[in-house]
Amino acid sequence: MKDRSASFPLLFSVLTLASVAFGGAARAQEPAPPADPPAETEPAATDETEAPKSVDERLDEIDQKLRVLDRRGEIKEEAEAEKAKTATFVTSGKDGFSLKSADGAFVLKLRGYVQFDARLFSDDRARPNVDTFLLRRVRPIFEGTVFDRFDFRIMPDFGQGTSTLFDAYVEGRFTPYFKVRAGKFKPPVGLERLQGATDIFFVERALPTNLVPNRDLGVQISGDLAGGRANYAVGAFNGVVDGANGGDLDSNSGKDLAARLFFTPFVKSENPALRGLGFGVSASQGTQNGTTAATGLPSYRTDAQQTFFSYRSDGTAAGTVIANGDRKRLSPQLYWYGSRFGLLSEYAIASQEVRRGAVAADLENKSWQVAGSWVIAGGSPSYRGVAPKKNFDPKAKTWGAFELVGRYSELDVDDDAFPVFASPTSAASSAKALGFGLNWYFNRSVRFMFDLVQTRFDGGGVAGSAVGDRPDEKVVLSRFQINF
Amino acid sequence: MKTMNRVRLLALPFLLALVTALPAAAASLLNVSYDPTRELYQDFNAAFTKHWKAKTGQDLTVQQSHGGSGKQARAVTDGLEADVVTLALAYDIDAIAASGLLPKNWQTLLPNNSTPYTSTIVFLVRKGNPKKIHDWEDLARPGISVITPNPKTSGGARWNYLAAWGYALDKYGNNEAKAKDLVTRIYKNVPILDTGARGSTVTFVERGIGDVLIAWENEAIYSVQKLGKGKFEIVAPSKSILAEPPVAVVTKVAKKHKTEALARAYLEYLYTPEGQEIAARNYYRPRGPGAAAKYAAQFPQVTLFTIDQMFGGWAKAQKTHFADGGVFDQIYQAGR
Repeated sequence: MKDRSASFPLLFSVLTLASVAFGGAARAQEPAPPADPPAETEPAATDETEAPKSVDERLDEIDQKLRVLDRRGEIKEEAEAEKAKTATFVTSGKDGFSLKSADGAFVLKLRGYVQFDARLFSDDRARPNVDTFLLRRVRPIFEGTVFDRFDFRIMPDFGQGTSTLFDAYVEGRFTPYFKVRAGKFKPPVGLERLQGATDIFFVERALPTNLVPNRDLGVQISGDLAGGRANYAVGAFNGVVDGANGGDLDSNSGKDLAARLFFTPFVKSENPALRGLGFGVSASQGTQNGTTAATGLPSYRTDAQQTFFSYRSDGTAAGTVIANGDRKRLSPQLYWYGSRFGLLSEYAIASQEVRRGAVAADLENKSWQVAGSWVIAGGSPSYRGVAPKKNFDPKAKTWGAFELVGRYSELDVDDDAFPVFASPTSAASSAKALGFGLNWYFNRSVRFMFDLVQTRFDGGGVAGSAVGDRPDEKVVLSRFQINF
Repeated sequence: MKTMNRVRLLALPFLLALVTALPAAAASLLNVSYDPTRELYQDFNAAFTKHWKAKTGQDLTVQQSHGGSGKQARAVTDGLEADVVTLALAYDIDAIAASGLLPKNWQTLLPNNSTPYTSTIVFLVRKGNPKKIHDWEDLARPGISVITPNPKTSGGARWNYLAAWGYALDKYGNNEAKAKDLVTRIYKNVPILDTGARGSTVTFVERGIGDVLIAWENEAIYSVQKLGKGKFEIVAPSKSILAEPPVAVVTKVAKKHKTEALARAYLEYLYTPEGQEIAARNYYRPRGPGAAAKYAAQFPQVTLFTIDQMFGGWAKAQKTHFADGGVFDQIYQAGR
């Protein structure tokens, strides 16, 4: 008898099958897997001249057959496990669609979002505006990872009838506290600007976002410190004007340095009331000089995306205001998200040396906002939006999450801008916006927003033959949004 | 001056990135090898790491990867960044060379055709040799269950196959038809084709399947000594093949990793008396006369033929027997 140390687990099966062998029934013919020789080649063949097999020999044959079957199963499992090591995983879910290599070192994600808005003005007879449906943002996002530690992201925007590149960068994650990003992305200035466009309380960001850059080209170092309780970012950028999405080439040699330090000291706390607290400060500094063709100066817009302030520009050197030196921005900021309530507040100061002909000045514009959120049912607020506890499903009588939001913001243009650098009859010297809204989160991807916003202005209009106030802007903004 | 300051500021992120990306002082090496060399290279790596540290002061980590030789060669060709390969047969390293990762004359770059140790193919049977297996023809007898891996994925399996074929050619006066008949009958007795030699050892030794395992000599001795003392016996056939497992630096990868000198030193150490001793201790036949004499008793006496003598080299043997539609496929198809 052979030495087969592993035979005990099979004993029961062997004995069960032994009756078949004793009865001289047809031999079991296991279907052979493709990679193996056929069953008839297995060691069961007998020579006609051979003596009849003993019971031990027959048991031994059955035992071997069972062992072979078991081993084939093992080999198949090993082959499948080996295959899985190099297989590519295709996933789809709430975070989009992705392809991932078996070791996770290579990932490609296809994501995106679409925002379909309605913008309806009320009581705008004095200054008529166009009520419109619009595709505010249509942004496919290609992002992923190569060689484990290098991430990339490419995001164009096809909204509002244009094709514009918003993000295109690569980021090396060397350690949690040291990452290097290069390309086009959001410089680390502001608070609501750095929040995703799908996560903001209102259809449009508040007035302070006018004073911070949108997208710029540059290199940034960033990372998490103290176990994620603090985050820093510092970088060098071409230097775009306030609120602007920079082009692929700079129009001057001046560069901006930007930095942000943000603290979430209780992020690991068990106390939900403390966990959602974050505060910090961001700033940028650079030297920017414009020309009559590219002034290097911003204009400021309301919630309805109407321009309420711009510098004088008539195409001549004498009549056009241009950037003429130092530009500085400073933005202290804070948010807090509890189980039902959220609060976001920021202050922004942007100063810029300007010149019109021979007249120069250093102008300082300021803005601030306070926004609050109350999730009345179905979820909790966060900097990354509301994730409903139960998705919209009428059959299950679940309705997603509902959030009421309110916001007040102001933007005040430096008084010294008037009348030399900006026209008091066409550029408002300040704007004050009050808004309320309702957000309905059907699920993590689909959201409906409805906002009422009224903006009041100082200056920027004509009253008789004197400077008057620009008429109030009352607008209804609504949005259907899908992001995946 | 102001411009200079700005340039320095702009350069700072790049400088920091560069500093972070700089390699650490410790070195590492990946040795992609075939199935049964795990124990050999565990011992060898420990010795070489110590030797390298003493010689250069540099810490070294050697990583090992093992699998069927053909499969390992394909992994390297497909991007597994091996600094060195120590495979079962020259054909597999030739395949890597064909992809441009190392020079085509790689076999001339180290002594003895880049084979620092040899082995051969023997039989492992159960204690007492109950099925009276003594030579290759016994494996073709009805009722004998033979365990050997798949020649399509395992270098050892190809040695097994060619050892049987070479024996038959020698016995039947180079009659290819008779050789094919014998080998066909042997493979009809194979119930399972594992992907590698170690898998077949598991099948035979641990799972208790089969009457005889066709095995590398080193694997057979290892099984007798370490895996099942007193449970198995080695049977040396009358004739077998001289198996020459070669080694090579994967120069393109080593250059990229800046480990070319280290990788070459690693392989050269296999030829030193220390390296030869380690090979012999792990049941490989050493080339060096000192270790060969010292360990002669542990290796059975077998008349050996080489692949060049019997088959005209690996390229020809591969094309004739193991290429798609080759003799092995015909045997396999016929058996189905």
